[in-house]
Formats: sequence, structure tokens, C-alpha cells
Amino acid sequence: MKTEADYYALFESYLSNELPAPARAELEQRLAADPVLASRLAEFRQLTGTLHAYGQRLHLSERLRALQAEIDAEQETTVETGRPEMPVLHISRTEQWLRDFWRGHRATMAVAAAVAVLAVFTTLLGMEWWKARQQPSVYGYATLRREVDRIKKNQRTMNQAITQIGARSGSEQPNLGKFSGTGFALTSDGYLVTSYHVIQGADSLLIESRDRQRYRAQPVFTDVAHDLAILRINDPRFSGFGRLPYAFKRRQADLGERVYTLGYPREDVVYGEGSLSARSGFEGDSGFYQISIPVNPGNSGGPVLDDRGNLIGVISGRQMDVQSAAFATKSSYLMRLVDSLSAAGTTPGYNVPRQNQLAGQSRPQQLRKLQDFVFVVKVFE
Amino acid sequence: MGKAQPSFTDEELVAGIRRGDDRALAHLYRLYLPMVIHLVMQNSGTEDEAKDIYQEGVMVFYEKVREGTLELSCQIKTYLYAVCRRLWLKRLAEKGRYGGRLDDHEPYLETGAEADLVEAEQRDQQFAVMSEALLRLGEPCRSLLEGFYLLDKSMQELTAEHGYTNADNAKNQKYKCLVRLKKLFFQQYKEEPLP
Repeated sequence: MKTEADYYALFESYLSNELPAPARAELEQRLAADPVLASRLAEFRQLTGTLHAYGQRLHLSERLRALQAEIDAEQETTVETGRPEMPVLHISRTEQWLRDFWRGHRATMAVAAAVAVLAVFTTLLGMEWWKARQQPSVYGYATLRREVDRIKKNQRTMNQAITQIGARSGSEQPNLGKFSGTGFALTSDGYLVTSYHVIQGADSLLIESRDRQRYRAQPVFTDVAHDLAILRINDPRFSGFGRLPYAFKRRQADLGERVYTLGYPREDVVYGEGSLSARSGFEGDSGFYQISIPVNPGNSGGPVLDDRGNLIGVISGRQMDVQSAAFATKSSYLMRLVDSLSAAGTTPGYNVPRQNQLAGQSRPQQLRKLQDFVFVVKVFE
Repeated sequence: MGKAQPSFTDEELVAGIRRGDDRALAHLYRLYLPMVIHLVMQNSGTEDEAKDIYQEGVMVFYEKVREGTLELSCQIKTYLYAVCRRLWLKRLAEKGRYGGRLDDHEPYLETGAEADLVEAEQRDQQFAVMSEALLRLGEPCRSLLEGFYLLDKSMQELTAEHGYTNADNAKNQKYKCLVRLKKLFFQQYKEEPLP
């Protein structure tokens, strides 16, 4: 009787083909006849097969670890760029950390950056829009163009009245301007002066005189720094203002001079008077006078005249936190602008009136002459 | 090993590994290590974990090639990626951190890798049982069998090492040890059908 160990010896030589042919044939015969022996052989094969495979696995595992150790040793100074086809990159530990950080958080950072950019632009655009809406571009300074919406109703009733009268030719636009200000004649052939901020952003301009005559106008020149705009009437129906009663003062006016203005803060022309309180404007701006005339939105662009009927300035704005401190662009700047435009020669030239017809007349007389040369400037956006 | 290595094609690599060419294995190992490190680190793993995963993956590939049963329907790169991806998913699931999705940076295809992995798992289990059985076998049987089967020592060497009088004695001892190992092994490992 053979022990199991004896069978194993037999199996081993059988499987390694060391068995002589007769013994081999005998064993094969027995295997075919004896299922117990066959399963014993199978067990042996599985056992030794597994042992061999296990040995190889251990060997391979060892080999791979060695390879890894080799690579790690090489990489103490170099770091893979993550792409096998790229050359390895020599980078510092900090940079490696940064790279890892970037790799791990780039999605988050991209979102954060996008939000930041969006926030910045939203804020900027929002502020821009806010500034555009709120006219005071300088804090505490209010320009005086009038928003017409508030008084639309009044205006409409008036328009009705006009149509009832039927005196107008009907070419007037029925819609009202969005803003309005005041303007006055610069020359008798159709040039007018108003404030720049009145016509700022305008699509079209309409000039309306005291007798409801309306003309189309277009800006010829603007001076943002001194808040001045020169308009020209380009309406075929326009035939000229007639002779201008006032003259423009080229020198500076004196402190304490009594001044007055005519303007259209309402639908009707409004007179205001006061005196010249300072020879500089808001925050010391030397292009402006400070005058103590109560002004309201709509007064902007109105003429400021002195006692003798010389035009000394153009109403521009007022200081919000100070009682009746209005500002007017100095006429000397207006004249300088007109002179330089004439010199440039782009236009036929400005026949600015030099003779003053108002001097020595009483105020109501002056106003009667003046009011035909002061207009409403309506702005359509 | 220098950086200027000869570049192998996939076919050459497979042929080399099948022949048992060590350089082919070393080349293969270096080739796709960064890819797997990138994959694992991209998905909340460390570099060491990545190396572990990669070694396991290469082992699966290597053993399939050696057995001659590998049916490679894609590039080795894609195969290894699939294997390592699967392995890493498993590891993540064990750690309980698997969010259900991996951040892939390579095209991920259904390759034969899944089936091969199941096979490899069974083999691993088998090896674990074997290792356990060897441990419980005790000396001197264990070192005798390990010497012969795992370390590829000859019977002559082992005879000298263990102080047997001659090689036949050592052989007889080996068979006895095998019988004991068989009992231990099949005690735990029965269900497997014959190869």
C-alpha cells in the first residue's frame, strides 16, 4: 500500500515526463479506471500549479517594487509632468505644491474667478448706469436740466389748447421732450447757447420760443469742461432772430454786481435776480461764477445778465447743500470759445452782437426785449 | 536606466513580456505610471496609493500575458487605464469615499479588463489561501516548500541547507510536506473546479 507521499513522488515524475514508458502506460491505465486516483492527481496539479504561480507572483511583486524604488530614486530631484511623452521637468517643492493645488482646485478657482469678474463688471456697469441717471456728476452739485415727465400733464393740456386755437401749422411733434433747459441766441442768424449737460445724450433737439414757435436744432460744438454747447437752428421755416439786444461781456464781471436771469423752469418764462457772490464756481472752479439767484431744474443754459444788460454768464448748476448758490459759466469763456471757432474757420463765422441796447433801461423794459431771445431747449433721447 | 530608452510598440512589449524579458516589463512600467498617478491623484488619492494601484494593474496585465490568454482589443495604455480605474473605484468604495463618479482624463472604453479583473481576484484569493496554508504548515516544511516552489532552489541546495543526508531524503520530506499542505490548502479552498 502506497502512502499519499509516494503517489506524489510518482505524480511528480509523471508530470515532468521522467517516467519510463511502461510505468507511464500503467499509471495512465489506472488513472482512467480509478476516479479517486484521478482526483488525487488533479489535486496535486492544482496544488503545485498554485504554488508555482504564487512564487511567480511574489517574484513579480518584488520586481515591480524594485522598479518603483528605482523610479522614486531618480525622481527625488525631478517630477513627472504627468504626460509620459513630455520631458521631465525639474521643479521646486513649492512649485510642485502649487501644481498639486491647481490640479485639485482648478474647477473651484475657475468658478470663483468667473463670479469675481462678473461681480466687478456688474458693479462697474451698475455704477455707470447710476451715474448716467443721477445727473450730479460731482457730489453736491446738481445740474439744472428739467425732466419733463413730471409736468407732462400740464403740457398736454396746453398742447390741447394750442390745437384748439389752430394757429400752429401742425408740423410740431406731439411727443414731449424728455428733458428741457433754457437757451439763448448767440447770433441773429440762428446760433444759440445752452449748457452742455442739457443736450447731453440727445437724439434730437427742439427750440421753442415764447410764442410757441418751434424749430429743429443741432449741436455745433460742445465744451464739456465749461458746460457749454453751441446749437444751430436748421429749420427751413427759420428766418432769423432779428437784432440781439444784449452784448457779451469779454472781461470778468465784478463781485457784488446785481445780476438776473430769464429761464424756463416751468412752461412760462421765469425771471430771477440776485448778485454775483463769488468769482469762482463749485470747488474753486475758475471757469464759473457763483451767483445768488434761486434757480431750478430747467434754468440750465439760461443767460445771466448784469444791470446794464451785458451777458456775463450761462446758468449751469447749483450746490445742493448750500442755500441759493448757483453757478454760471463765465461769458469770457464763451467768447473765447466763439473766437476760437471763428478762427478755426469751419463755419461762416459768428456775428456776435457788440452793441448793447439794454443799457440804461428799466428792468421790465430790458426783460421785454430780452424774452424773445430766450428759448426752451427740448431734448429727445 | 537612462531616459533615452528604445521605444517599444505594443506588440513588442507583449512579445517581450511573454518571453520573460525584464526590460520590456521595466519599460512598460515606466511608460504608464504617470497616467495612473494622475488618475488616482485627480480622484482624491495619494501618490503612494496610486503606485499600489498601478502595481496591481501591471500584475494583472503581466499575468494575463504570461498565461497567454490576453485578448487585447485596444492599446495597452487603454487596458491598463481601465484596470487601474476599476481597481481604484474598488479601493474608494472600500474607503467609503466613492462619490459615484470618477474624473476621467483618458478615453474610457469597455475593454476585456473587467472580466480579467474578476479572474485576477479569484487568483488573489487563491494566493491568499496558499499563503495562509504555508504559514500554518510550520517549519521545516514551510521553508522546504518555499525554497523549492517559490524561490526556485534546486533539491541539492535544499538538501544542503536543511541538513538532509541525501537528495532522496529531502525529496521524500518534500512530498510529505506537500501532502500536509494539500490538506491545509483544500480545507479552505474546495469549491474551485480543476484547471
